[in-house]
Amino acid sequence: MPHSQHSYTKPGETLFGFLMVVLSVFLFWQAYSIAGFESLSSPGAFPLAATALMVITACIACVQNLRLPSEVQGHFFKEILPPVVAVMIAVILLFAVVLDTLGFIPTALAFLFLTIKFLHRGGVIRTTLLSLMVLVLIYVVFRLVFKVVLPEGIVPEREILAYLSDLFNTGAQ
Amino acid sequence: MLEALQYFSMAWVSPQLLFLTALGTFLGIYVGAIPGLSVTMAVSILISFTFAWDINNALCLMVGVYMGGVYGGSRTAILLNIPGAPSAIATALDGFPMAQKGEAGRAIGLSTVMSVVGGFIGIFILAIAAPHISEFALTFQPRDYMMLGIMGIMLVGSLSGESLTKGIFAGAFGMLVGTVGLDPLTAEERFTFGAVELWNGINPVAVMIGMFGLSEALMQLHHLDKVALKQKLDRIIPAWADVRKYLSLSTQSSVLGTIIGALPGTGGDIAALMAYDHAKRVTKNPKVPFGKGAKEGLIAPESANNAAVGGAYIPMLTLGIPGDAVTAVFIGALFIHGLNPGPLLLTERPEMFWFTVGNLTLANIFVLIFGLTGIKLFARIVECPKGILIPLIFLLSIVGAYAINNSVADIWWMLGFGVLGYFMKLYGYQVGPVILGVILSRLVDENWRRAIISERGDLGEFFGQLFSSPLSIVLFSIITLVFVSQTPLWTQLKRCFKRPPRPDDSAHPGKSKDAAA
Repeated sequence: MPHSQHSYTKPGETLFGFLMVVLSVFLFWQAYSIAGFESLSSPGAFPLAATALMVITACIACVQNLRLPSEVQGHFFKEILPPVVAVMIAVILLFAVVLDTLGFIPTALAFLFLTIKFLHRGGVIRTTLLSLMVLVLIYVVFRLVFKVVLPEGIVPEREILAYLSDLFNTGAQ
Repeated sequence: MLEALQYFSMAWVSPQLLFLTALGTFLGIYVGAIPGLSVTMAVSILISFTFAWDINNALCLMVGVYMGGVYGGSRTAILLNIPGAPSAIATALDGFPMAQKGEAGRAIGLSTVMSVVGGFIGIFILAIAAPHISEFALTFQPRDYMMLGIMGIMLVGSLSGESLTKGIFAGAFGMLVGTVGLDPLTAEERFTFGAVELWNGINPVAVMIGMFGLSEALMQLHHLDKVALKQKLDRIIPAWADVRKYLSLSTQSSVLGTIIGALPGTGGDIAALMAYDHAKRVTKNPKVPFGKGAKEGLIAPESANNAAVGGAYIPMLTLGIPGDAVTAVFIGALFIHGLNPGPLLLTERPEMFWFTVGNLTLANIFVLIFGLTGIKLFARIVECPKGILIPLIFLLSIVGAYAINNSVADIWWMLGFGVLGYFMKLYGYQVGPVILGVILSRLVDENWRRAIISERGDLGEFFGQLFSSPLSIVLFSIITLVFVSQTPLWTQLKRCFKRPPRPDDSAHPGKSKDAAA
């Protein structure tokens, strides 16, 4: 497949390329500190080779990028990181922070409601119903079918499940 | 022979085993298709469910999930451009462009039939040639495994994206991520920064969900206002002419897939990528260019990854070595049930071998049935507005990452790699090689060290041995060829070898143009 580099510099691309070079050099130094150039079969040999490859290719990519026409087309916060993307990353970050404390059910419900409302822009009732539907589906698949233990947090989930199964058992008898 | 047939048909005649295989296949298709759920995860959880079950029942369910799951990964690859499993990475390259053109139904139908063809060929080879292929795999030296791993990464790096340089960077980065944790040979810490939590390394599933699930969903946010493409799914059953036309390519890819699958450590992912590359080489004039929705680019990896299932069973049942991650879990299940997979299994418990072959065949038939029905319901997921679908993918990715170890730390990894993958994609880096690098890192690392230790650390000796083995020479030549074919050197070489134009050609430029066309 013939490859062709895109013909203009994207906003932030030079910085990203430079960051990749810095990251590669840092990781190369870290790989060196495992066992130095001790021997070809040392635990550090393979990481050294991988990071050396990273340094070389990151530098080539950076130089290739600098060769492109210097004018940058577009705006970073429009083309690369529009507000909607930044907001979603922040919301997922928040999700991970509060998941253990609040528990899966309230966190996921709040996440679904907020994100569907923000992205889909439907009515409150419709959004609530949709969020509940999605939550029930995911809960059934993960918690009940695959037995994934999700954080309980503030909802006494196990007690509720035990109560429900008791209720069904009594009904069956 | 009659006995073998009897064992083969055990799952076919028992309603309970038949039902469990069907259920497993059905579940497998959805597990494989839903981003964040992996076949390996489902099979490992199933082991805990089926611990107390009869071994035949347990195997029926798990074999169904495996077979269905390998196929299911292609559905999301085609409809959402999110490969449900690494073996579907190559499927997305041409499957998704087909769906974008409104040919999702055709793509799914064709991929289903070709997956089943591949599955049958894989099983056939498993049944017929198991002892021979395992003997061949035994002759592989550690350096060959190492080169095979590098070849896989090089192939995926050169397949898509803007430049091989960025592809190699991504592959090397992935291999580096795979080395994080305690060194498996010496237990020395690598890139742990003193954190005990990093001793076990970064879970590849978290990296995979981040790089494919999250980053893709973040990319989709750029096109929120775009109306979802109505997936044309009215004709799912492919035309007979199409099947007949591509049957030869499918067969070739399946044989290739089975052989790759039979090599320990290499599974459907490498098989699919190599088959894709094979399709590109043998298809001189595709109707649609590769990467833009070529049917050949869909058929080859789909046939190969399902064929690799049969192949992966060969080393598992005859040598006790897993062909891929799922078969590694299967070996665990067999041990739990008191079986000892290895060279003696075929002679001591022939019924288990033939039962597995029969069961795989049955699961493959169910793939065809479930694959060609119920697609409309599935496709409605992609027709649903992005404002609802994207939060759902986000939540599935978060829960999927959490489910790996019941730990929030994996969500952080998933988020980190997701954001990195997002920027990488935007700046022309590919994420496929990263994942492959992570998966193959250990294989390449361990085999490199084994190879160099056996040559007492002498690099000259290492290359001396390499060039004295025909197999190693072939593998080394392929790697070199893939690398050189992507560099400017190749274009120059081609120009050098081109026949110089005859003097009379220049007098008739129009004529020479026609001849070139």
